[in-house]
Amino acid sequence: MTGIVGIDVGGTFTDLYFSGNAKRPHQVLKVPSTPQDPSVGLLDALQTAGLSPGELDAILHGTTIATNAVIERRGARCALVTTKGFRDVIELGRRDRPNMYGLEGTHEPLVPRDLRFEVDERLDYEGKVLRPLDEAGLREVGEALKALDVEAVVIAFLHAYANTAHEDRARDILAEINPDWELVTATSVVREYYEFERTSTAVVQGYLQPLVARYAKNLARQLNEWGFDREVAIMQSNGGVAPLRQLGQRSAYIVRSGPAAGVTAAARIAAEAGFSHIITADMGGTSFDVAVVIDGEPKVAEITNLDFRIPLRLPMIDVHTIGAGGGSIAHLDRGGMLQVGPRSAGAVPGPVAYRRGGTEPTVTDANVVLGRISPLSKMNGSPLGLDVEGAIAAVRGLGERLGLGMEQTAEAILAVVNQRMAGRIRLMSIERGLDPRDFAMVAFGGAGPLHGGALIREVGVSNMLVPLYPGVLCALGCAYADLRYDISQTVEKRLDQTDNQELADIFARQRQQARGQVDDSQVPVDTVTITHAADMAYAGQIHALRVQVEQGWSNERLEQAFVDTYRTQFGNTLQNIPVVLVNLRTVAVGTRSSVGLPQGNVAASTEAAKPVGRRPVYFGGWHDTPVYQRNDLLSGMRLDGPAIVEQSDTTTVVEPGMDLLVDPKGNLLVKVK
Amino acid sequence: MDPVTLAVVRGSLEQIADEMDLQLIHAAISPIISETNDCANGIFHPETGETIAQGRYGLPVFLAYMQFTVQYVIRLAREQGGFKPGDMWILNEPYIGGSHLQDVQLIAPVFVEGKLFAVLATTGHWMDIGGNVPGGWAPKATEIHQEGIVIPPVKLYEEGRLNEALVSMFKANVRLPKEIAGDLAAMSNVFSVGTRGIEALVKRYGREVLGQCLDEMIAYSERQMRSYIAEIPDGTYRWEDHIDNDGITDEPIPVRLAITVSGDQMHFDFTGTGASSRGPMNMSRNTTLSSCYVALKHIFPDVPVNGGTFRPISFTLPPRTVLSAEYPSPVGGYLEPLGRAIDLVFGALAQVIPDKAPAAFFGTIGVVTVSGTHPRTGNYFVGVFPYPGGYGGSRASDGLINGTPPQSMANFMSLEMSEHRFPLRFDHYAIREDSGGAGWHRGGCGTAYGFTTWGECIVSVLGDRVDHAPFGVVGGGDALANSVEFTTEGKTWTPEFRSKMEKQTMLPGDSIRACSPGGGGFGNPLERDLEALERDLNRGYISPATAEQRYGVVIGQQAPSIAGHTRYRLDRDASEARRRQLAGQAANA
Repeated sequence: MTGIVGIDVGGTFTDLYFSGNAKRPHQVLKVPSTPQDPSVGLLDALQTAGLSPGELDAILHGTTIATNAVIERRGARCALVTTKGFRDVIELGRRDRPNMYGLEGTHEPLVPRDLRFEVDERLDYEGKVLRPLDEAGLREVGEALKALDVEAVVIAFLHAYANTAHEDRARDILAEINPDWELVTATSVVREYYEFERTSTAVVQGYLQPLVARYAKNLARQLNEWGFDREVAIMQSNGGVAPLRQLGQRSAYIVRSGPAAGVTAAARIAAEAGFSHIITADMGGTSFDVAVVIDGEPKVAEITNLDFRIPLRLPMIDVHTIGAGGGSIAHLDRGGMLQVGPRSAGAVPGPVAYRRGGTEPTVTDANVVLGRISPLSKMNGSPLGLDVEGAIAAVRGLGERLGLGMEQTAEAILAVVNQRMAGRIRLMSIERGLDPRDFAMVAFGGAGPLHGGALIREVGVSNMLVPLYPGVLCALGCAYADLRYDISQTVEKRLDQTDNQELADIFARQRQQARGQVDDSQVPVDTVTITHAADMAYAGQIHALRVQVEQGWSNERLEQAFVDTYRTQFGNTLQNIPVVLVNLRTVAVGTRSSVGLPQGNVAASTEAAKPVGRRPVYFGGWHDTPVYQRNDLLSGMRLDGPAIVEQSDTTTVVEPGMDLLVDPKGNLLVKVK
Repeated sequence: MDPVTLAVVRGSLEQIADEMDLQLIHAAISPIISETNDCANGIFHPETGETIAQGRYGLPVFLAYMQFTVQYVIRLAREQGGFKPGDMWILNEPYIGGSHLQDVQLIAPVFVEGKLFAVLATTGHWMDIGGNVPGGWAPKATEIHQEGIVIPPVKLYEEGRLNEALVSMFKANVRLPKEIAGDLAAMSNVFSVGTRGIEALVKRYGREVLGQCLDEMIAYSERQMRSYIAEIPDGTYRWEDHIDNDGITDEPIPVRLAITVSGDQMHFDFTGTGASSRGPMNMSRNTTLSSCYVALKHIFPDVPVNGGTFRPISFTLPPRTVLSAEYPSPVGGYLEPLGRAIDLVFGALAQVIPDKAPAAFFGTIGVVTVSGTHPRTGNYFVGVFPYPGGYGGSRASDGLINGTPPQSMANFMSLEMSEHRFPLRFDHYAIREDSGGAGWHRGGCGTAYGFTTWGECIVSVLGDRVDHAPFGVVGGGDALANSVEFTTEGKTWTPEFRSKMEKQTMLPGDSIRACSPGGGGFGNPLERDLEALERDLNRGYISPATAEQRYGVVIGQQAPSIAGHTRYRLDRDASEARRRQLAGQAANA
């Protein structure tokens, strides 16, 4: 039997997870990323793992190239063709500003105004042609574009979601003028109303398509040269994967896919451990990513802002980020109050303890001086280990200004950063109208398990689950993700005025399209599951509610489903107000034939965990604390806090008053006694 | 006070206020609350009524505003024997609270161990409050009673008992009684979130420590605010601006501000501001104070929102001006004087702290309201399109294009969505070229939009800033002013008072074209970077004439226009020479 490998290419590290096969057990590792050509790091990871092409069925891969290209504005030179009068929609947005307070800052659209062109054409809201497409005018624009050295052209017309004929015709005409252009019609990316959001999404696609297509081609070639010719798929932000061969067309879907992979993996691990409602807490060096999973399904955002005024209207796993990580700097503000972050020491200079020139105390330094992180840790990659003395001096310096001792200062740093993270978690659950106490928390990332215990105490969450490989969970998520395609179409009609046949036709078309994409992927799948949803709202409401529905349901049945969901969510209904059908959606999930999740070893029933050592750790006072190796903790073992559990990619802290149980899958479950 | 407990308690109290915001946004019926966050929630000091923490999801306009109401109600409750557990007060009187009648406030005490510990308040915008016009906005109102029902501060709940008679009175006097009753219930429920949160903190830290934290948090913000003020050089900084007219009489209304900074204190003096108008372009004293804090918060975004921030600032505001309206002056158009008050603060302070204060923003809310009966569905509709516009340039950047007003975070409706709902078609939605004030950092362009109706509609417009354009600062130029044009029966005309039109009937084929102002420029335009200018020209943010006349550059080459685009190349040497010459002339003059 062969195995699969998941690789997540991050900004600093490329993480690899190998599922194991008949010849060897599963395996994880990290190698440095190679930002100039990320595929170099990817191959390096495969080679470092000692894997040969023949023992792999599939390589599943998450990448930040799309995200970085948008944030750093390194995408293609791209033009935009719009309906006459509306080329500025993309730059204007919908009346907003970057920050609630402070009127500074501007917006740099992905397509500047001098590369945006208008053609005469107009549809009404039902898709009826008010003004035909001015083909001669479009040809003139096409000729002008030839002189402007663009790689991609996006075509976005008003109301084209109701009738794609003008966009399609315009694409054909431009293809005649220059077959080398990457042409993107907005409705081929997202067939929903809201002109700004749809155009923006299409522009993100066009802006990334040439770059991502080149990346896909390059990666395919390199893997081929390495000798691998089987499945390669890329993680998408909707929690599923798409094959390398479709990558160009799916460029907008791979933005921010790394965090989505982590959430997908966490949801799956938690479900196997018996938790259906979870909060995922991924704490790394600079940021804290948090997401909510209800009934095993990660919450999906309909719109995500990639940057100010760059919305992406595609279903993406809703991951919130705050600037709180191991590198977050502790400082006093001008009122004299202790603050932690959002400024981060990053990887360079990094925390003081890292010996890379950092001088300001960080969250990691606080963990080091309190004994939570081993002084012998090699996490900084220095043969000298951590600079504990330096960290103590930095924390003490801050403490002198606060009038606090060194340990109290370090605890204060942790208290402040934990309060910020706990607050974000509470708001995420309350925003969904849910009580945080109904959740378990999956802690991962290098710093997640260090802080997770304090967070569950603060938020009132029952359990913290630390998976087997918290440091490479995103890579693991890639390996186990299924194929996924999301299709949508705006209807925007009162339900009592929609025709059941019309609904059936749209669903039939969407099923066919979804099925076609699965087939086209050429990825071997066990089963294809197609599900439908409808976005509905009471007439006049701006926000629609998404309701799972089935093909063949009548409009009365849809309305009932909406009313029931509305009542559950808001506790009341608005009788007498008609219900509007906003969008119809179809999701196709192709379940990949995959091996199971990695599992830990099982202990004999009476066996007790044996610490590898002890060291003083500060929890309101110094405690002589046992230190365990993660590999020595077998399923069924239980231990009381205070305790420290170390593994190569993270440290788990079990506070006094908490206990830890190793579950049958090898996950650590920490809870308040 | 232990600094760690203080930092954590502060975070927790702010968190509680945030949770109150979210609870209300989640549960409210009115879309204006649930979808544009037109609400506010806060925790207040039990003795002084000062803000301790305010939720960060609500709109900036409510920044300081609830503190004044809470202080008033604390006084009133004391006169009546003090707060009792289970009491809840309600009011919307703008002369006590602020803004307009639609913003209803509830206030409730929190008792711990039988003693008053804190006061909570919530504000929500009700979709209708009775009065002359649905939605409560009456452009021709000349007294408050035409704008809706006035609720003085009274007890909605007395020791836990709901005053049902009061609720019946509200329901009988508003157009959407069921929705309003739902919003009232949602707002009342918010207090249980706040109370629960505070009780949990008391349990954790003890009543005494937590009480000290409340005092210390206010003292802390005060120190922080004073440290910012202390960095502003002492002196008196004046600014003057005008409201075009009040919509009843066509006369400009002056607004004046003199800010005196001495040490770590500031004094705002509005002496010289024009008398309250007959029409609704007024706001109450508390709204003016609140808008000054909004302006300061935009200048010093790091200052936390609580009573300490307000302590080092004092006001002189003569009674019965447009910025200190009293009964029975209407206040429905308060957002126009509010914009002007914010600009006064920017204009005055830009003279002395140009690193922080921007030039004027577009400055008018310019609401276009469209209503009628949809010819296809037979449904009554109301559509509201408030202006987007340019922000002023600042030391940090050019002004933003298509900004939302500084006191708001509300968006412009999707054009496609509007066309689904209303019998109209947008003709364009575009950058208004050449409308930002010239400057080293240019003002953001305004927005031009227009639509043509295909069914009969009634259209009203309320705006300002036609006669008095948004100003530039530290040598920056003014923006282009507001402009509104109707075309009916083939004739194009400008409305009465140039930006104010009540209930114009538009027949199929009639149209309106609105051009919002840009923002003012920041700094000397002759010093603007040449590359940035070339980009401005090629993107059409400025015209060739403006480039030559205001920015003093020489255009070297001009490619022929293709598909509506012209390419310009500046002549660098000639431009620099011409700029030196112009700068010399300016110095001699």
